[in-house]
Amino acid sequence: MRACFLNLIERLRMQNTGLLPEMTPKRREAFVGYLFILPTYIGFIIFILYPLIESMRISFQEFSLLRGSTYIGLENYAQMFADARLRIAYINTIVFTIFAVFFNAGIGLILAVMLNRRLPILMRNLYRSIFFFPVLIAHTYIAVIWRFLYQYDTGVINFYLGVVGIDPIPWLSNAHWAMAAIIILDVWKNTGFAMLVFLAGLQSIPNEYYEAAQLDGANERQLFFRITIPLLSPTIFFILVIFMIGALQVFDTIIVLTAGGPGDATRSVVLYIYEIAFRTFNMGYAAAVSMTLFAIILVLTALQFWISRRWVHYE
Amino acid sequence: MASTQVTVHGKPKTAPRKSKKPINFGDIVSYAILTIAAILVMMPLMWMFSTSLRPTQESFHLPPAWLPTKFRWENYLAPFESSVPFVELFINSMRITVAVTFGQLVTCSLAGYAFARLRFPGRDLLFLLLLASLMVPGQVTIIPIFLLMRDLGLIDNPLAIILPGLISAFGVFLMRQFFKQMPQELFDAARVDGAGHIRSFLQIALPLAGPAMATLGIITFNATWNAYFLPLIFLNSWHKMTLPQGIALLTGYMGSGNPSVVMAAVTMAILPVLMVFIAAQRWIIEALTRSGLKG
Repeated sequence: MRACFLNLIERLRMQNTGLLPEMTPKRREAFVGYLFILPTYIGFIIFILYPLIESMRISFQEFSLLRGSTYIGLENYAQMFADARLRIAYINTIVFTIFAVFFNAGIGLILAVMLNRRLPILMRNLYRSIFFFPVLIAHTYIAVIWRFLYQYDTGVINFYLGVVGIDPIPWLSNAHWAMAAIIILDVWKNTGFAMLVFLAGLQSIPNEYYEAAQLDGANERQLFFRITIPLLSPTIFFILVIFMIGALQVFDTIIVLTAGGPGDATRSVVLYIYEIAFRTFNMGYAAAVSMTLFAIILVLTALQFWISRRWVHYE
Repeated sequence: MASTQVTVHGKPKTAPRKSKKPINFGDIVSYAILTIAAILVMMPLMWMFSTSLRPTQESFHLPPAWLPTKFRWENYLAPFESSVPFVELFINSMRITVAVTFGQLVTCSLAGYAFARLRFPGRDLLFLLLLASLMVPGQVTIIPIFLLMRDLGLIDNPLAIILPGLISAFGVFLMRQFFKQMPQELFDAARVDGAGHIRSFLQIALPLAGPAMATLGIITFNATWNAYFLPLIFLNSWHKMTLPQGIALLTGYMGSGNPSVVMAAVTMAILPVLMVFIAAQRWIIEALTRSGLKG
């Protein structure tokens, strides 16, 4: 097929049919360049740029699928301040983000540091594969599996807690434990990604630094805090940003595991947006809420970059 | 940073540090912690697999048997015989995933090549704009996309998921990085031989881009296969749904579904991911690491 395509182009060129007109080399290059980015840019405009602008517009509207929409100025935004459920959703999302980012990055770093010690290559690769595999499984499936594990009287987790003398925990029916359940699941699934990136970062630190420091009599702790951490800081920074942006958008796990419950205890901002947009079809308000999430993610990204320029150590 | 690409898999270029010392206390502790962590990661998956093979009435036995005690492969037939049209779900998921993956390989390699190797006015600005879109979360654009699809009559149609999936700013970025690394001499030589830009792309750049295409293909395949948010919004009839939706429903309200059957279904749904992982572990790990380190 490719040969056929080439042939066609060649023929068109020889005949100079006007499809590929005679152009200066520079203009021809530009023409081909625009041609190549055209499919991507069509998609970009239809599915990202236009919806983004449209979403802003809708956020100033009282939206109704049946009656059409009317502009109501900043009313949707004003409504948010009085919306207690939105406040709860934001608090939940922030609590989830703080814990999930901390444990994902922390445990990922510990695992990576340990994998980077003297281990047979085979063992290192085996452990790395095991830790990483859950990253590839859908949140939905993992939540389905863990919902059975978290059951109060039939769940495997409570059984083993009982073995070590801990009373059964109402994982999915108690507000605080339900949040803990979601964080634990998230760490189980995602810490492998942090581990993988940290491991690569660790392996890119030249051995000479450690050797030189050891000659100067540095101990293990000094090596870690004076060499590993500073040289790993771009990687740490990257992981923090990526995990924070991901955690702020938590949705799949929650909708399957707790559906936001008990009550509103695990309702995240995205779950709340989903419900007001697609269950009650209050799309104007949903668009306004989504704008706040967008703003937060933008500010966070910018802030992280700004901070990184001050404390991240680039080689 | 360049060395990481070589060292993330296989033998590191530099020997692990402290290699001359005898085994010390720290080594034993880290071995122990790594082993415990690996067991903790494996346990839910072991439970999934062994439960999927157990008779239903035994699936709640405590303590659970971590290894399969019985081999009731019939459980694996149950999802096909249940009220959930399992085969259709599988086909729906596969169709969407293949279309999106193939589409992204085409659009991203074209745009990546243009941004990396062709000069045209506004190129860098256009690329930056595209990159900036990575910061736009999907939830922000979903409402207008939903209204658009409704106007096009594409609700409950796989096209509603395929069309937005055909492009990827991340994919363009990945391909651009790869094409940028290719030596200029290659393209100069082709130019001397009279090849145009399209021919250079098809006959020189593309055949060498196998690793990057494999990487992008695997990442896209996995992300689309696992997607839940978009299908949940657009697909609402049993015959159009994707596998994650179907399995979430099979689990039933508050997990009332039959554990053995649900776990058999989940095991089958994870199988393609596991196979791709085993076959292409190197690509996946290298790609994710590289995308990570170069941000």
